[in-house]
Amino acid sequence: MSGSEIIDYAILIPLFPFLAFPVILFLGRIFNGTPTWVKNVKEGGIIALTVMGASLIMALLVIKEHMNKVGAADVFTWFESSWWESSGEITTKVFGFGIYIDHLTVMLLFVAAFLCFLINIFSIGYMNTDSINDNRNHRFYAEFVLFCSGMLGMVLADSFLWLFIFWELMGLCSYLLIGFYYERPSAAYAAKKAFLTTRVGDVFLVIGLVMLWNMFDGHLDYAYVFDPENIARVDQGELQIALGMMFIGAVGKSAQFPLHVWLPDAMEGPTPVSALIHAATMVNAGLYIVARMFPFFMEAEIGALSTLAIVIAIIGGITAVMAALIAFVQMDLKKVLAYSTMSQLAYIFTGLGSALWLANNGYDDIAAFAMGASLFHLFNHAMAKGMLFMASGSVIHEIHHAHHEVAHHGHDDHDGDHHDDHHDDHHDDHFDAQSMENMGGLASRLPITATAMFVGSMSIIGIPLIGGFWSKEGIIASAWKVALKEPIFFLPATLILIGAGMTGFYMSRMWFMTFAGKPKTEVAEHVHEQTPWIPIPLVVLTFMTLGAIVFAGMHAGHWLGDFESGHYTSFFDGIGYEMSHVFLNPDLFLLILTYVAIGLSLVIGPTFAMALYGGSLDEGQKAKPWMQWAINLSARVNNKSKFDNTAWANSSLADSLHKRLHFDEIYDAAIMKIVVGFANLSAIFDSKFIDGFIKTIESTSQEASRRLRALTTGSARDYIMMTALGTLVIFLLLWGVT
Amino acid sequence: MLPAACDGPGMNCVEVFSTDFWQAFAPEAILIIGLLLLFIIPNLGNSKFRIPLTKTHVPWFFGGKRVKATGSPALPGMLATATLFTALGMMVIESIDGKMDTTTVVSGGIIIIKMDNFSRFFEILFLAAVLLASMASLDRIPAHTFHGKKSLEEMYDNRRQADFYILMLTTAIGMCIVALAQDLFVLFVGLELASLATYVLVGFHKETKSGAESGVKYFIVGSVASGVGLYGLSLLYLEFGTLQLTEIAANWVDSSILGTIALGLVLVGFGFKVSAAPFHFAAPDAYAGANSPVAGVLATASKAMGMIGLIRVLLIIALPESGAQESAIWLYALGTLSVITMTWGNVAALGSTNPKRMLAYSSVAHAGYMLAALTAVGAWKWGEVEAPSDYAEAIVAAVLFHLFVLVAFKLGAFLVLGLLEMEGGASRLSALSGLARRDPLIGTAMFIFMLALAGVPPLAGFVSKFLVVAGIVSNSVGELWVTTESVSFSDIHWVWWLALAMFINSAISVFYYLRIGVVMFLDVPEEGRRKPLPYGASIRMAIWICLVATVLLGLSGDTLIRMCYRAAESLNLA
Repeated sequence: MSGSEIIDYAILIPLFPFLAFPVILFLGRIFNGTPTWVKNVKEGGIIALTVMGASLIMALLVIKEHMNKVGAADVFTWFESSWWESSGEITTKVFGFGIYIDHLTVMLLFVAAFLCFLINIFSIGYMNTDSINDNRNHRFYAEFVLFCSGMLGMVLADSFLWLFIFWELMGLCSYLLIGFYYERPSAAYAAKKAFLTTRVGDVFLVIGLVMLWNMFDGHLDYAYVFDPENIARVDQGELQIALGMMFIGAVGKSAQFPLHVWLPDAMEGPTPVSALIHAATMVNAGLYIVARMFPFFMEAEIGALSTLAIVIAIIGGITAVMAALIAFVQMDLKKVLAYSTMSQLAYIFTGLGSALWLANNGYDDIAAFAMGASLFHLFNHAMAKGMLFMASGSVIHEIHHAHHEVAHHGHDDHDGDHHDDHHDDHHDDHFDAQSMENMGGLASRLPITATAMFVGSMSIIGIPLIGGFWSKEGIIASAWKVALKEPIFFLPATLILIGAGMTGFYMSRMWFMTFAGKPKTEVAEHVHEQTPWIPIPLVVLTFMTLGAIVFAGMHAGHWLGDFESGHYTSFFDGIGYEMSHVFLNPDLFLLILTYVAIGLSLVIGPTFAMALYGGSLDEGQKAKPWMQWAINLSARVNNKSKFDNTAWANSSLADSLHKRLHFDEIYDAAIMKIVVGFANLSAIFDSKFIDGFIKTIESTSQEASRRLRALTTGSARDYIMMTALGTLVIFLLLWGVT
Repeated sequence: MLPAACDGPGMNCVEVFSTDFWQAFAPEAILIIGLLLLFIIPNLGNSKFRIPLTKTHVPWFFGGKRVKATGSPALPGMLATATLFTALGMMVIESIDGKMDTTTVVSGGIIIIKMDNFSRFFEILFLAAVLLASMASLDRIPAHTFHGKKSLEEMYDNRRQADFYILMLTTAIGMCIVALAQDLFVLFVGLELASLATYVLVGFHKETKSGAESGVKYFIVGSVASGVGLYGLSLLYLEFGTLQLTEIAANWVDSSILGTIALGLVLVGFGFKVSAAPFHFAAPDAYAGANSPVAGVLATASKAMGMIGLIRVLLIIALPESGAQESAIWLYALGTLSVITMTWGNVAALGSTNPKRMLAYSSVAHAGYMLAALTAVGAWKWGEVEAPSDYAEAIVAAVLFHLFVLVAFKLGAFLVLGLLEMEGGASRLSALSGLARRDPLIGTAMFIFMLALAGVPPLAGFVSKFLVVAGIVSNSVGELWVTTESVSFSDIHWVWWLALAMFINSAISVFYYLRIGVVMFLDVPEEGRRKPLPYGASIRMAIWICLVATVLLGLSGDTLIRMCYRAAESLNLA
């Protein structure tokens, strides 16, 4: 790498936000509440936006330069240490940070930098109009930029060690942000839960990393561990265990079964923003670490790591269906999206599992395709889910404003945004601004939001030609391709195929409940869009999602997966290829599969949802033309089918779904029995033995200190005495030698 | 006439006061000029000199009614700071790229001083410390322009301006001489020059009881130590007939009784300077009585000066020849001293409730760490080692690095206390209560200094401690890793245990360093200290410089470490 390349400055991408963290925090402390700080700097929001913008520009420059090649740079050496090895050579260990760039980095870098920037814009609209946030938004922005620097740093890092460091940095920020309203017990509890649950995964991740470190002679940098020679050298069984441990860490971070319980609760954070972090960026960290393992699977002995790949796919399959099931009954808008996130991430895990299995079994070309499809789905999902969460935040925000207007109508005159209170502030009644039971018919009242949600939902469902469709088809096809080779893969393959239909149902349900039909409450009639900061990211992301076809045309799916020689083809060729490949696949099996998947997700799922929750808008209200047809259709389907689901709704299945399949209860019970019991024992041990021991040390050393200091009498005579004594001791010791 | 030592290749010998001499000596010359200006400028006046027996008055400009422009009380501080800054800048520019020429200054056939990487390194250290302290003193002992009422304290402050900075510059010059000296006599002169100035600086606030008392005590005990050291030097002269470092080193034999006694006595003299136990007693009193920037200079620069003495005497003179099988004669003495020192310092600091005394004890402990490192150098002849000087240089470089970064965080901590002193005393732990709430930036800075002192990564304190421990360990193990399959404890030289002692002591020390953090972040500010801290632009700037150095040198100390290595190399240990 020559010195002038832009990659040498790539460190700036995480560095900008990292440095902004103390700046915002301290400036916030100093200028808190002053008019300039609140009005012009948006309590730090503008500073954050500036650094995130700078990071985004840097990221785009890096991406532009390294679109088609792998690059690495040593940016920073902390210190070096040399020592003698038994071979007689001096080994030098460099403790430093470097940048490693390949397709995976480029893609995630874009996702992270781009979304963080948009979220930042959105936050300014959302957070700064929230009265209970008064005088503490600087804390939010500070934590936000620190989080972003964690994500960006993790993506750019050149070794698993730094990946882990940034991973933990994100974990910390996640904790802080979920617990942003720490005065609410539920938020504090959710923060703790998220932190501790991911901690379970992290312990395994550390074990995995230590094992890797041990196997690869103290190296964790990608350049070394991905070297085929080194991979061939290590014990494959041990490698599989180490990677499995790391996978458990990924399961925790990406909220997969059975460590998924924290994600829905994480929605306690400031509504769309922390939620978005937990949907579009941070949860991708788990996927990233699994995707990073790809070279291991490529280079390891054929079949040596298959078990792990199968486990990854099965965990993905189970989570996909489980989360979709729970999402069926959720009434909270954000919780539906949270479960949808889990489900979609599970898709990606299944895709990655397939890719890894293929890679490990020598099917390099389709492995690359499966990998590319998974990563492309990651991209599509991040864009769509980011948009969905921001849109849901917009809905909640406006519902709350409307609720305030309705509730306080005629009571007092409030001046615009400033005295509005949010869903977070339940002081007057128990109105739940997040519940879809209080919404309905919003399509005409929140046109931009509704559009964004519409497009986002379609992308998640996998409506042909929109966003997630391209990648989801790829994942399902890959999983089935593996299933033909390895029978046990039928399980995840079937599960995600069913999951596709389920996605169609719950996403449509969410949209129709929120935007179609008649307003269910008085509040919903008074909703309208206000602040300009919120729609900007929605519009941008809407076009991003719709534009997925462009990326598909550019062979993103293939390019992302091919770590060796990925390249673009020309756009129209690519689009023609993708189209024919998807819709007119020469392989009959895949062709049928495609249409089954499309049928499930496009027809069956949404139809059920329409039948249950569809309905036309109020008289005189009209949605934008691109949504009106869906509403009309839903109204018609709803009228035709007199489908009654009360039996279902009262069934025990629905009940346990409401209770999130009892996971929390089981975990709670297990923890109360085992952990608390153990904790009580340790507490006794601690207070009796450890504390006793420590306290003895403490009191003894304090006593020793007192006596020693008593020797410092303050009299110069005594000091000279001691000097003489010391001289004597020195002589004795010198004499002893001679 | 040039001495024999000048014959070697690459030796650049110049006669004193020759043109070449002034070129090499320019930074120090600037200090001396600055000192003279400090004498002259504040005293410029309208006085006339009457030629005896006549009535002719010749204007003489020195004394009398002072010229208003030059009589400003703020001037000496500015002048001293500017002088120090200029000299420091010249030295840094000269030596930072490692292409510095070694210049040996001779006079009458003996080598007086030598400008090389080693001496320049220490001079930079001294000047940096004194410069920071001077900057801080601009606010700590401020020059007042009277508006209305004059308080006694303000008048005192103004009176003292010139005196204070003259003493500061004298200290700096004395220390520089110690760094340059190639002759034990010159070294002693420099040492005393600096010491006498610091004695006065400690007792500078003579109207306060503690200031006067501690100054006198420091002077008495210091004089005793100097006397003992001087006696040691005279014995050396008796034995070798010369005080030239190179010549004594060439003639040194361990079996010489007189030499051994002299070594012990000199060890006491320098032991006081580095405040090694049990010669450290005056130090806590002195630090507590002195004003904080001065205490900071004592804890960093003055200590480094003593360390130069120890390095010169122990490593240059009394180290066995290369290839000899035995260890240095002073190995046990210094090893014992180091363990006692570090333990004593840390244990005493544990219960200390006066932050300045606490820092004093902590600096005793740090002296112990450095003595441990020097001890390990003494062990390097032991066993079969291929390139012993590599090991020795690594350790010496670690010590130098440690000394240098101490200027960043120990002086920084003292400066924070100096800032607190501006609003009252800083002699109780409760003075720091709630500092982080009253002034988050200063509180955080202090906390970072404490973390650095405790050796928490990635700060400079960690790197220095790491280098020292790594140096000791690698030296004690030597090349056993190369020659044998498995290394057992019995094969390892006992200096290894010094590293362990250091490790345990570091663990102890964390307690009292972090206690400062607890007090600053969790406690409620005491009565009368609720207002924001006084604003002092230059003392705050000095604190920032220290803070930035603490963090940066920890993150990326390459340049400095290389400088340390070059300095260690120029000692020519092997």
